[in-house]
Amino acid sequence: MKKAYLEFVVGVFLAIGIGCLAWLSIKLAKNDFFARNGYEVQAAFSNAGGLHPGTPVVIAGVEIGRVKSVGLAEYEAKVRMVIQPGVVLQKDTIASIKTKGLIGEKYIELTPGASDNPIKPGGAIRDTQPAMDLEALIGKYIQGSLAKPDDKGQPPH
Amino acid sequence: MLLALVAVGVSLRASAGEPTAQIRATTDDILALLADPALKTEARNSERRQLIQKELDRRIDWATVARSSLGRHWAKRTRAEQTEFVSLFSRLLEETFIDKFETHHAELDKVEYLGEKIIDEYASVKAQVSTKDQIVHPVEYRLQKSGKDWRIYDVLLEGVSLVKNYRDQFDEILAKSSYEKLVADLRAKIPQAVAVAASNPP
Repeated sequence: MKKAYLEFVVGVFLAIGIGCLAWLSIKLAKNDFFARNGYEVQAAFSNAGGLHPGTPVVIAGVEIGRVKSVGLAEYEAKVRMVIQPGVVLQKDTIASIKTKGLIGEKYIELTPGASDNPIKPGGAIRDTQPAMDLEALIGKYIQGSLAKPDDKGQPPH
Repeated sequence: MLLALVAVGVSLRASAGEPTAQIRATTDDILALLADPALKTEARNSERRQLIQKELDRRIDWATVARSSLGRHWAKRTRAEQTEFVSLFSRLLEETFIDKFETHHAELDKVEYLGEKIIDEYASVKAQVSTKDQIVHPVEYRLQKSGKDWRIYDVLLEGVSLVKNYRDQFDEILAKSSYEKLVADLRAKIPQAVAVAASNPP
């Protein structure tokens, strides 16, 4: 009697464990949905700052694709991404790299354009904006401040 | 220097160097106009502005800049509204550019062209503008071929696209208010821009 009860409890825990694994694998499989059904486009960025396979591609805050691969071609980052079927990208769509918050994850934002022509599967997003190099901009600001004349109006020395 | 240009720039057409050459020509012409002592008088101020405007009109494809900046909202407007928008937006941008040129050209040290890339009828030209305080500002021009002319449809300053910047702004404005309000705001800004520019010392 006791043994049967014990076995029952073990069985329940096992079922819960398998249930959790099943739930987890379904969740992960959802991420592969784009890879199996979407269409591929590419874009070149002069600075890919932290993009990697799996990075989300977003329009108006909605995830519509994922980065498939990031490589180097002619000293620029060549990014291949898979876009959800049914999402049309105009030829003058602009792809830019944004950060969640100031130091968070990177994602690619696509801003729709006005062109009547869509980007075909396998095509390229022509216009991109590189990742903002915050350190360089801050450095420039500091450099600029140092270059300003001091209070007495003397040129910087 | 030439080798460096060849190494950095990749051209797929025999007309390699054309986009850079045309941008360089327009830039040099505008800088010459700004520096010309004969044009620095009050009397010839508007003549100088018109000459600079002519240079800009030749090199910049205002219709595409305006259309591209309005982005997904463009298709919803009527032909008449689209024409009006191009006219207002390009006037506003042009006045703003000329104002900036007049205010800051004395700080300019030099412009260096780093290389270009041509794919089909599109090109991008990378340059850097150095100011007298030793700061270097990267600039990228994006151009489309129109006959023999390469015309600018976007420019990136410090890596930020002008068209994308306006797309974001227009998206926000149109989400919060109406297209009519946007047009009214543009109209209101033009006389301001003209007044600011006119108040610049020659």
